Amino acid sequence: MKLGARILRSVKVGWTASLVFGMYKIPSWGRRLRGIEIEPEELSPTHLRAAARILALALDLRGVMIKMCQAIATRADIFPKEFIEELKQCHDAVPPKDFETVRRVVESELGKPLDAVFSDFGETPIASASLAQVHRARLLDGREVAVKVQYPDIESIIRTDLANMRRVCRIYEFFDPQPLPLLPLLEELTRHLGMELDFVREADCADRVRELFADDPQVKIPEIYRDWSTTRVLTMELVGGIKITEKQEIEDAGLEPAAVLQNLMYIYVRMILAAGFFQADPHPGNLFVTSTGEVIVLDFGLSKELPEGFGLGLFELMFSLMTFNESAMVRAFTELGFRSKTGDTGTFVAIARRMVSRSDTGAFEGEFTEDMTDELFEAIRQDPVAEVPSDFVLVARVFSLLSGIAHSLGSRANVLQAMSGGGPNG
Amino acid sequence: MENKRTYTTEEILSSQVYDEPLIANDVRCHGGFDSEGIYQSPRTLFRTPAIQAWQNQLAEEGAALIEIAPNLMPPQYPSAEQAKLLLRNGIREPLVRTLTIISIVEGFGAMIRDVKIPDLDELIVEPIEGTALHHLGQGLFEAHARDESGYRDEGGHKQMWEAARDAALENPNIPGDVLMRLMGRRGSAQRPGPAFPEIGEAAERMLGFMSNVLVVEVIAERTFRWGIDVLSDPEISAAPEVAGNMVRNIQADEKPHVEYLRTALSEVAARTLNTVDGKTIPGKTVIDGLLHRTLSQMIRNRPGDQRDDIREGLKQAMQAAQNPAALQDDFDALEPVWTAPAKTGFEPAALGA
Repeated sequence: MKLGARILRSVKVGWTASLVFGMYKIPSWGRRLRGIEIEPEELSPTHLRAAARILALALDLRGVMIKMCQAIATRADIFPKEFIEELKQCHDAVPPKDFETVRRVVESELGKPLDAVFSDFGETPIASASLAQVHRARLLDGREVAVKVQYPDIESIIRTDLANMRRVCRIYEFFDPQPLPLLPLLEELTRHLGMELDFVREADCADRVRELFADDPQVKIPEIYRDWSTTRVLTMELVGGIKITEKQEIEDAGLEPAAVLQNLMYIYVRMILAAGFFQADPHPGNLFVTSTGEVIVLDFGLSKELPEGFGLGLFELMFSLMTFNESAMVRAFTELGFRSKTGDTGTFVAIARRMVSRSDTGAFEGEFTEDMTDELFEAIRQDPVAEVPSDFVLVARVFSLLSGIAHSLGSRANVLQAMSGGGPNG
Repeated sequence: MENKRTYTTEEILSSQVYDEPLIANDVRCHGGFDSEGIYQSPRTLFRTPAIQAWQNQLAEEGAALIEIAPNLMPPQYPSAEQAKLLLRNGIREPLVRTLTIISIVEGFGAMIRDVKIPDLDELIVEPIEGTALHHLGQGLFEAHARDESGYRDEGGHKQMWEAARDAALENPNIPGDVLMRLMGRRGSAQRPGPAFPEIGEAAERMLGFMSNVLVVEVIAERTFRWGIDVLSDPEISAAPEVAGNMVRNIQADEKPHVEYLRTALSEVAARTLNTVDGKTIPGKTVIDGLLHRTLSQMIRNRPGDQRDDIREGLKQAMQAAQNPAALQDDFDALEPVWTAPAKTGFEPAALGA
């Protein structure tokens, strides 16, 4: 990336950061001089304006800024709901790079001309995102493949953007007496980006999950072709199916949406609770179902290893929520790594009460709906919880995404039923 | 109260007043002790006499109570003697894993409260007023659920098994693969299709689920005997009395479950069911068919699969012993012998003849 472009990106980030900071601080200083306290609900329009400004910057600069917005949109435990709603719109789809750029990357990475590996290589990508794009191709032996190609300058862009954001966060923390914990979030984003940029790691993760379901004919993880994969190019089996949220198409294929959902839930519960290793991005673009009911899981860029005992801890938390056993709930929250600022464990019970109150039935029956997860994080943000384990946030987001898919299919994403093999009505 | 056959939900869920609560491993559990120190199961103040009254009514009608033959029960694996051998040789993890899985499975018993109960007056030709069937959604399923998983700050069987484990084995570390072992492998087995589509999906699901739970509850009896044998052995248990009694308490709590389930299923078997196409079918045909299917599947297929899985894990665990080969030989010498009976006792007429 050229110096001029780097400076321009830095200026844009700095300018937006100053504007956002000013939006909050200037009125607050003014009111403080007049001795008036600002009520949290009065900040709602400011939150909306600030979030819109950040979204505009992300859509302009793309790359890591998009990832940053997506990360913020998953952290309802830290950011106000106006930020979450606004930045949720920050989709990963970006205009693709031209084919010549793609060809250069593939040839340079594989060390061979394109036609020495592929008999056919589609010039138009079948998908493009903030870090890479995917092309359909055919190997010389006739196998159809999907080739994921990383953008050539993406690492440099990320380095620049992360450095800019780190600077902004430090300045913000210097000026704000009670800053939001932005630097840890940035560190987490840096770790996640590092994972997503390493396609060899992604291949390893896909292999690990495939191994977990090796004898399960109801799960499909595409094969990775290592001979034609590097850290920046990933060549894998091309698989096709019905997008998992397309209920009508699933029914037209003679499949039961509820059975498809049960299969999907089993896959995620086995990965998260039992194996402690999971594909952490179950959005509908990554999940398909074949005409025989196999669930296809794609994109292992964001795969996560959970600490030992995390699955059992999460199970105990859900179980205690189901029975509303308060002492067990406090124990489970604590074992998962939650810490309250005051040491008062009643905080956790109050948070759980708020979360459960948002379920359809007023009780926790094993499903983390989006409403319940939002309420949980809103309660955490308002209450004095000093430490929320980031693994928990990620897992809660995954279950909330699965709940969204379940609702598209007219079903429920019950974690406890998936674990016990189906429940009485499944 | 002897002739009373209709109860409110509150009555079915009512417990005696205890002189002393049951506290297990610092966790308040359900149930408690009377003035003589005898354990009283929770929610049995009206439930126990109610079940007795419904069973008496069945007898008066000349209907038989369902009996599942004890020889249909496969032995617990590893056996009590094998488990003790492992513990004497310092191999604790398999037992900790087994006890933890038992506790979780007990907790899943709470799902019985989620059973969708069809309109039983529409399903069953004869009246069901004053029967166990009439009370399934009026306290029986809920009481069962609370017994298994606990309710609010009172622990249930899940917490009681955990307490027995922690007392006997002194708060052991829980193996990280417990949930993986619990979920097992689902392989390619397909869920069996409906056996009695003529009674409708909801009715078959409920009766099938109740048949399943009844068989599990009956099989659990051998797990209680095994648990009491192992955990109250002073040679290997740090708290033989506490741990053994805890399992005895659970065993006592489970009796009403077996009794209400077999009463309700026997009531169905003694009646006639309306089919979805306007005809009727004897309840006995349906209940025998469902029990036969459940027993065939659970007793003939599952124990073998589970035993192989457990045995593989045990072989690995025994590698930590001073002399793994000798321990393996001693372990194999204690291998329980059990042959599945040829018949379940619920064969459809054509097969059972």
